[in-house]
Amino acid sequence: MTDDISENDDRESPAPGVPRLGSDEQPAVYLDAEADAASGDRNGDGAPATDGGTSAEGSSAASAPNPDPDPDPDAYDPVDVFEGGDLDLREGADSCYKCTTCDTSCPVAEVDDEFPGPKFQGPEQWRLKRKEDAEIDDSITSCSNCMRCDSACPSSVPLSQMHNEARGEFVERQMSKLSREYVRNRILSNYRFFASIASKAPRLANAATKIPGAMWLAEKTLGVTSEREFPEFAEQTFREWWRERGGAAVENPDKRVAYFHGCYSNYNTPEVGKAMVRVFEHYGYEVMVPPQKCSGTPMFANGMLSDARRAAETNVEHLVEAIGEGADVIASCTSCSLSLRQEYPELFDIHGIEDLSENTFEALEYLRIYEDVEADVADAEVDDGAFAYHAPCHARNQGLDRQALETFRELDGAAIEDVGDSCSGISGTYGWKAEKYDVSMEIGADMFEHMEDAEGETGMTECPTCAMQMEHGTGYEVEHPLQLLERALVEGS
Amino acid sequence: MASTPHVVVVGGGSTGCGIVRDLATRGVDATLVEKGNLTHGTTGRMHGLLHSGGRYAVSDRKSARECIEENMVVRDIAAHCVEETGGLFVKRPEDSEEYFREKLEGCRACDIPVEVIDGAEARRREPYLARDVEKAITVPDAAVDPFRLCVANAADAIEHGARVATHAEVTDVLVEDGAVVGVEVEHGDGPGKRSDHGPEGESRPAPGETETIRADHVINAAGAWSGEIGAMAGVDVAVRPSKGVMTVMNVRQVDTVINRCKPKGDADIVVPHETACILGTTDEEVDDPEDYPEEEWEVDRVIDELAELVPPLADARTLRSFWGVRPLYEPPGTGTDDPTDITRDYFLLDHDERDDLPGLTTVVGGKLTTYRLMAESITDHVCEKFGVDADCVTADEPLPGSEDFSVLRDYMDEFGLRSPVGRRSTQRLGSRADEVLKTDEPNPVVCTCEGVTRAEIRDAMTGENGAGADLNAVRIRTRASMGNCQGGFCAHAIAAELHPDYDEPTARAALDELYQERWKGQRHALWGEQLSQAMLSRTLHALTLSRDADPATLDDDVDFGAFDEGPENGPDDGARRDAPAGADTGGGR
Repeated sequence: MTDDISENDDRESPAPGVPRLGSDEQPAVYLDAEADAASGDRNGDGAPATDGGTSAEGSSAASAPNPDPDPDPDAYDPVDVFEGGDLDLREGADSCYKCTTCDTSCPVAEVDDEFPGPKFQGPEQWRLKRKEDAEIDDSITSCSNCMRCDSACPSSVPLSQMHNEARGEFVERQMSKLSREYVRNRILSNYRFFASIASKAPRLANAATKIPGAMWLAEKTLGVTSEREFPEFAEQTFREWWRERGGAAVENPDKRVAYFHGCYSNYNTPEVGKAMVRVFEHYGYEVMVPPQKCSGTPMFANGMLSDARRAAETNVEHLVEAIGEGADVIASCTSCSLSLRQEYPELFDIHGIEDLSENTFEALEYLRIYEDVEADVADAEVDDGAFAYHAPCHARNQGLDRQALETFRELDGAAIEDVGDSCSGISGTYGWKAEKYDVSMEIGADMFEHMEDAEGETGMTECPTCAMQMEHGTGYEVEHPLQLLERALVEGS
Repeated sequence: MASTPHVVVVGGGSTGCGIVRDLATRGVDATLVEKGNLTHGTTGRMHGLLHSGGRYAVSDRKSARECIEENMVVRDIAAHCVEETGGLFVKRPEDSEEYFREKLEGCRACDIPVEVIDGAEARRREPYLARDVEKAITVPDAAVDPFRLCVANAADAIEHGARVATHAEVTDVLVEDGAVVGVEVEHGDGPGKRSDHGPEGESRPAPGETETIRADHVINAAGAWSGEIGAMAGVDVAVRPSKGVMTVMNVRQVDTVINRCKPKGDADIVVPHETACILGTTDEEVDDPEDYPEEEWEVDRVIDELAELVPPLADARTLRSFWGVRPLYEPPGTGTDDPTDITRDYFLLDHDERDDLPGLTTVVGGKLTTYRLMAESITDHVCEKFGVDADCVTADEPLPGSEDFSVLRDYMDEFGLRSPVGRRSTQRLGSRADEVLKTDEPNPVVCTCEGVTRAEIRDAMTGENGAGADLNAVRIRTRASMGNCQGGFCAHAIAAELHPDYDEPTARAALDELYQERWKGQRHALWGEQLSQAMLSRTLHALTLSRDADPATLDDDVDFGAFDEGPENGPDDGARRDAPAGADTGGGR
C-alpha cells in the first residue's frame, strides 16, 4: 500500500467531486420491504477505497431513509415513484416490431422447444401485463441471461432488462422461498459468500467436493448437477496475495485503475488477477483494489435482485470513490464489466451508478484504448503454440469478441483461433442446475466440436464460467488473455 | 303470428343488440338485421368507456344518474366484458377550481361514489400523470369491450329464438296502407358474409340475394344511419352525426381512466382498454355518416392535448386511429349550434304518434353505457303495443360468458397456456373459457401480440353465433390482429384457420379484407415505430408472401410452361417437365 493511498484511510468523505450516496436514491426494481430493511445493517466505518485488505465486507453508507420524500417535482423520473419501486417496462414494448430476430439468436430457444424465447419473455409478456393483474410465466427461469437478444435486436428493445425485471418479480412474488429450486438458486447466485468460507480452508473445501458421493449428494439435495466437477479454490486468494505483496508496486496519480476482480479471480483463479496487476503495472498504471462484492451477474440470472442490489450498493460506493480519485474501473471478467456497465444502471437507481457505468472497462479493452498493445505484442515472443479462443456472449455484447484475436495476431509463438460465435451454454450458474445441464451441454456442443477441430489444445476465454464449460466439454486447460499478455509483455521483456 | 308478434330491429350496435336480446327473452319473435358485422357502426368505434356518470354530473344529471345505475348493472351482467379500472377527473393548474367543485358536487348529487385525492396520491396511482396535476376526483369509471358486449347480447338473443343476420343491409322499408310492414334487405355476397343465425330449420337466403322480411313492427336502431332508414319510410329523423377521432396507443400508459376536469369535452380522456390505451376525442358535425374526412389535425390534437395530462403520450407509439360518428339527436326546433352542446340523452320516436305512421319506432341518441336501459324502454314500448306481458330480465340475467366465474381459477394448468396468454384469454372468454380452451388438439398462439390461441379463433369462426369467414368479426370477438403488428404477423395465420371449412378463394378474400381493415387505421399512425412496423409487414406480405402480385389471384391460369426447367432438373428426373415451353400445359394450380 502506498503512502499516498494510506493518507486516504482517515478521510470521512470521498474526494471532492465524488458523488455521495444521495437522497435521490430510490429502489428501481421490485424489492420487498423486509429485504430492503435488512440491507441497512452494515457498519459505517467508512472503509477507504484502496485498502487492499482481505475483506470486502463492512461497507458503509446504508441508504438512509429519505428525509424529503417529495423533492423538486421536476426532478421526478417516472421510475422513482412506482409503488414498491416497481419499474414498469410496458413502454419498452413500443420498440418491438415482432421481427423475431431475438428468438433466432437465442441459444436456449434453439435447443429447447418448450422455451418461448426472448420476444415472448420480453416485449410480448410485458405488453400483456397489467399493473394489478400480472403473473410472470415460469418459463422466465429457463432464460440463461446470455443477453444475446440485446445485441440481436435491430430496434433497441431493452430485452435483458425486461427479462431481469420479470425474473426478479417471478422469484420475489411467485417462487416459494422454501422450494428446493429457490434455495439452490440462492446458494448458486451467492457463490461469493460460500467461496469466501471455503477459501478459509481451501484444501479442505477442495477435498470435500471430491469426496465420493459429494456431488451426488449436491444433486439429490439441491439439484446441483453431479456431472460437473466443482471448481478448485486457490490456496491463496488474490486479495491475500495483494496484501502480502504490499499493495500497488507503482504509484501514479495520472494513471490509475481500480481493479474489479470479481469472485472467481479472487477465490479460484488468482493468477488472472495477478496477470492483470503485472500487465497494468508494466504499463505504468497504479492499480487500486477497492473493497467489493459480487458484481451481481449470477444474482440477476437467478432473479435475486435484492441480493444483487445489496452487493451493488457496496460496489458502487467504493468504485465511485476510486473514480473520484482519478481511477477508471477495470474488470478481467466480461460478465462483471457488463454488469457494472449495463445492468446496474438499468436495474438500480443508486447515486453514482451512472458514473460507474461510464467509467468501467474490460481490462484488455482498456489497454487497447490507451496503449499500443498490438505493437508491443508484435515485438514480443512466447512459446505457447495454439489456443482455441471462445468469445463469451457477454464480451460480444460489449463489442469485445474480436479483441483477443486482434491483440495477439502478430505475437510470435502463439496462434489464436476463434472457435465461432456459438454460446458456450453454461451461462454462469445455469449449467450447474441439474435440470438445465442437458440443455447447457446441447448449446455447448457446437463450441466443443469447433474446439476439437481447432489446432490448439489449450482454450482461451475472458469468462470464468465459459472456461469451466470449455474445460468440461473438452478436457482442455483454459487461460485468460491477460495470462498470455503477461507472458508476452512482462515475463518476455 | 297473432299471439307472437314479429319485430325487426335494424342496426347491430349496442342498442340493437340490447333490444333484440330483450325482445327475445320476453318471448317476442325478433330479427336483427345489420349491414356490416355487429358493432359495424358507432359501437365499434368508441373508446370503450363504461361511464360512471361523472362526465355528465355537471351538465346533465339525469344522464349521470342513469350512467351510474347502468354502470353497476353492466358490471354484473357482463363481467367478462368489463375491466374495473376506476377513473380519475384530474385538474391541472389552469383548470377552473370552481368547475372542479361543481363536478364534485354534481357527482355526489347523482350518487356517484367519489373521493378527492391530491396530486401526489394521483401520481402514486398513475405514475405517468403530469407532475403539475394538482388533484383529482376518483370515480367508478370502467373499461368495457363493446364488441364482446354486443356479441354476447346477440348470442343470448339467438339462444332465446331470435334471428341475427349480419351483412344484411336494409334497402327499403315496406309501407303498405299507411303502415310499416317490414323491410327489404340485401344479403352481402362477399366472402364470409353469411353470418345468419337463428332458429333451426328455416331456409336461409343465399349471399347476394334480396329478402323481404315482413314484420308487425320495425325498430329503427341504426344510430347515425337512422335518418336514412327513416327516409325510406318517409319520415324525418333529424340525426346530427358528429365525428370524433380515437387514437390507439401500443401499450397502457395508465391503468385508470383519466378524464380532464374541465367543461367541454375535446381531447380529454384516456381509456385503458385491454393491452392498449385509447385517446379521445374530437367532436365535429358531419353531413354523411359514411363519408367524412379523417383529418390529421384531429389525431395531433388528441395526442398533444392529452400529453398535458400524461406526458409520455407525446412520444409513445400509436398503433392506429379510427373515427366514430355519434348519432346525436335533438328534437326539432332546439337549434343547438355546437355539437358538444347537444344532449347525450336518448329519444324514442313513436312514428305512429309523431308522423301517423304505425309500425315503426326509432331510437336515437344515448350512449353505450345505458344501452340496456334504452333497450328496456323500447322493448317496454313495443310490448305494450302488442299486449305482451313479460318482465324485463336483462338487468338480472348474466350474459353468456358471465354466468359463472369459477373457471378463472387454475386455468393455466388446465389449458396448458403460458401465464399472460391464459390470463387474457380467460378474461375475454369469461365463463366460456372452459368449453373453448379445453382441447385435446395442439393449441398454439396464433396472434402473439394479443395472446390469442387457435382454439379461441376457431371458436369465433364456428362456435355459437360464430363469425364464419368474416375475419373482422373474428377479430372483434378475439382481439386477434389488434396488437403491435396489426395483423402483419398473424392475419394469414388466422385466415389459414378457415381451412378446411372454406375454400381457398374465400380464405384469400377474407385475408385481404382483414388486412385492408387493419391498414385503414394504421394510415393515421405512420411515423416512428409504427412506420417501421408497417414497412416490415408490407415486406412480409408483398415479398415473402407474394401478396402484391400473387399469380394465384390472377384470372388466368398460370402458364407454368413459361418457366424454364431450372438448373437442377435434368431430363431423367421425370416429373411434369415433358411439356416444352410454349406448349399448352394449361393445368392448374
